[in-house]
Amino acid sequence: MSLKMLKFTLNGEPMEVPVSPSDMLVDVLRDKLELTGTKKGCGEGECGACTVIMNGKAVASCLVPALKAMGAEVETVEGVAKEKAHPVQEAFMDLGAVQCGFCIPGMIMSSKALLDENPKPSKEEIREAISGNICRCTGYVKIEKAVEAAAQKLQERG
Amino acid sequence: MSADKIDFDIVGKSVRRRDAFEKVTGEAVFSTDVKLPGMLYAKVLRSPYPHAKIKKIDISKAEQLPGVKAVAYYGNTPRIKFNTSATMTFTVPHLEPVLDQYVFDDIVRYVGDEVAAVAAVSEEIAQQALKLIEVEYEELPAVYDPLEAMKEEAPHIHTGCKEGKNIPGDIVKIDMGDVEQGFAESDLVIEEMFKVPVQKQVQMETQAAVAQVSREGDITVWSTTQTPHPTRMILSRAFGVPHSKIRVLNPPYVGGGFGVRIGCSAKAEPIAVALAMLAKRPVKVVYTREEDFIASDTRHGGYVWAKLGVKKDGTFHALDLKGVLNAGAYCSFSCETPGVLGAMTLSVYRIPHQKYFGHSVYTNTTPAGAMRGFGNPQGIFALESVVDMVAEKLNIDPLELRLKNIMQVGDPWCLPYPCGATGMAECIEKGAKSIGWDRRGKLNKPGATKVRGIGVAIGSHVSNSWPFCVDYDNAYVTIQQDGSVQVACGVPDIGTGTTTTLPQLAAEELGVRFDMVNMTFGDTASTPFDIGSHASRTLYAAGTAVVAAAKDAKQQVLEYAADLLDVSAEKLDMKDSEVFVAQGSDEKRISLKEIAYHAHLRNKQFIGVGRIVPPNSPTWEAHFAEVEVDLQTGQVKVIKLVGAHDVGKAINPAICEGQIEGGLAMGLGYALSEEIRYNDKGKQQNKSISTYFLPTAEDMPEVEAILVESNDPSGPFGAKGVGETGLVPTAPAIANAVYNATGIRFTEIPLTEERVFFALRNNKKS
Repeated sequence: MSLKMLKFTLNGEPMEVPVSPSDMLVDVLRDKLELTGTKKGCGEGECGACTVIMNGKAVASCLVPALKAMGAEVETVEGVAKEKAHPVQEAFMDLGAVQCGFCIPGMIMSSKALLDENPKPSKEEIREAISGNICRCTGYVKIEKAVEAAAQKLQERG
Repeated sequence: MSADKIDFDIVGKSVRRRDAFEKVTGEAVFSTDVKLPGMLYAKVLRSPYPHAKIKKIDISKAEQLPGVKAVAYYGNTPRIKFNTSATMTFTVPHLEPVLDQYVFDDIVRYVGDEVAAVAAVSEEIAQQALKLIEVEYEELPAVYDPLEAMKEEAPHIHTGCKEGKNIPGDIVKIDMGDVEQGFAESDLVIEEMFKVPVQKQVQMETQAAVAQVSREGDITVWSTTQTPHPTRMILSRAFGVPHSKIRVLNPPYVGGGFGVRIGCSAKAEPIAVALAMLAKRPVKVVYTREEDFIASDTRHGGYVWAKLGVKKDGTFHALDLKGVLNAGAYCSFSCETPGVLGAMTLSVYRIPHQKYFGHSVYTNTTPAGAMRGFGNPQGIFALESVVDMVAEKLNIDPLELRLKNIMQVGDPWCLPYPCGATGMAECIEKGAKSIGWDRRGKLNKPGATKVRGIGVAIGSHVSNSWPFCVDYDNAYVTIQQDGSVQVACGVPDIGTGTTTTLPQLAAEELGVRFDMVNMTFGDTASTPFDIGSHASRTLYAAGTAVVAAAKDAKQQVLEYAADLLDVSAEKLDMKDSEVFVAQGSDEKRISLKEIAYHAHLRNKQFIGVGRIVPPNSPTWEAHFAEVEVDLQTGQVKVIKLVGAHDVGKAINPAICEGQIEGGLAMGLGYALSEEIRYNDKGKQQNKSISTYFLPTAEDMPEVEAILVESNDPSGPFGAKGVGETGLVPTAPAIANAVYNATGIRFTEIPLTEERVFFALRNNKKS
């Protein structure tokens, strides 16, 4: 199959990578770009482990043909911490929201996409935002609390 | 160890997990992330039939496809029988482990059973090659229900079942007192049969392994296993290679366990090794989610019968319990699971006359193996439903009835270890307060279409697998030349926080700063043997070994410091990485850093070794549920779930709570929605996340985890197990709440909308 050059912005940097039309974004990120922070838990858009932020929206990267990202701004979990961890990441660490960790990159991306757009989410909005992210370890209890705490912290910072 | 010590420096503190930073930034490496130079990708050809003989298989066309480097099937892989589960490495000597699997066989016994596997330069090519493998099957008769599979006319699934048709291993029989006499002396006897579903772990990382075989024949396997050392033993047998030439390791993280990989990760490791041997290149096997659903161990479904005899005043007098579980196509843990079902269910209450008879039965379905709770949730669903029925018949408050009969320290029971401590009464009292038990019975107005109810159920569990399995732990605690500390222990961290809590124990016992302790784990090459993370045992059992090793190292340090300070070692102690004179007014002190380097310059290192056979101890838990049942649709909505748990001592309270909260969610799924069903052709009907219905964030009720500390006399700093306990009594607590709301007793779970709807309709008719 002929390869096409995918040009997009990845974690704030311009990126070019040859991909085939059948490649999914998750596989390009994990296999070609070796950004394995984005996890693959089902390949069918049902578990949320592969969530990345594309043009400001949380998307399941296993359902996105890589070429759909042409010209897009894509953010993966590797791009979230700058010099320091992002408040969402801090809150996940502080409140014990992390167990096996396999769902966590997707959870972080869904939570960050929510807070980027809605700095004061209600409990229901938080639940809705992470409802596509399956976690089998935590019962979501401390994850929800962490997102609430991160929202609080971001508001305090202004 | 200082169980009597009250002021701890680091034990009992919710310190941030050691693995948290890596995990929130995506740096943490899992098996599915491992990539080696020259690595090939594998795909597995699976049986479309529930039971068939492979009459002919031709792999030549697949082998010729460009990019294909190896095709493995029964004709070119070892014909050595093994068991993918760790049971084959730790079955206690008077029993024989059941070895009933090959890497590949010429008979397939369930839909999804392995027929062949291909290693190729890409997953796509491997997938294409599968289609080129020509297989001629001769279909054989199949059976799916364990009661059917015991009948004379049922097909034999394996030969050599000595206890009865299709029964693997030995039947478990427990006897105490005389149940017949006990029932004769009882004022009320209630008997009921319960049916429990096949639940799936659905750990987030599917089964995976990467195998590399060197020219010398040394094998390295990166894997998702919960038990690196036993997995090495299994591979050693399956491939006839000495233990010392095999290394099994986690890379280092594992995306959840819940029992699904105690031993091999389904067949990921053996298939990867077989292909790597043939291809002479590293091979990666990653199960798709569908493969994980259909071809990796599930919880046992099946039947439980409970017959409880009680006195007029509510005193339990006799219990007869029977379990017949569906083993699926291969034995896995099907000999042990019925044992735990019986032993745990019999040991919640003080009952003088008790009896259990239980076993599994082979069928042509996905093998059942270990899953969080390990038989206990099945038995407790039956028992705690019957106890609720007794409470109603005798018109006694369900809490009062339970409090009257719960096991106390010193009571006789069937378990071969003592009940060292129990916080059960406190669990019941605190849980009742949290759920608002006083409101029970006053929740509904006449004519309401949505009715509420409150229910309770209690349970116990193990803290370890001794003496039911060969069970021992080793650990090293090594003082480094700068006074920092290296703990080495062969357990993995499957998400339960082991790599945080074991260093907490080491730091506390040694008297060193927590930030000076690091841990090597999940690797057979750098840690001594440990049977691994299962049976809620890691903190309790491996922790006991770590404490013993720390004690040993500390003694060496104090003896060395005694010479330096000219004070006898017995008078010294260590705190905050500093040795000081604990007895007397002597102000002399010296840092561990100085001691360690002083020793280094004189050719000495302090190496503590912990070699222990851990004891065992019961956990205690009381779950409460408030539900709302929609009388028109049959939908059951859980409003609040409370899990009050006697954890002995919470070494890291946040981690303990996390275990319980996650358990409650999985117990909620078991009660309401999770089930793998089969069609009449033996095909799994629920094999994706969207069709399996496990709880999402939006399905979760308000959850409260309550920690009760009874300070166990046997565990490290008083701790007991906690990992599995979060879902032991959840389903009956919910079912009892549904009864309280509707007056309908469900003897089968999950309580799906459909099941409840029809029960409500039938109830109305009658």
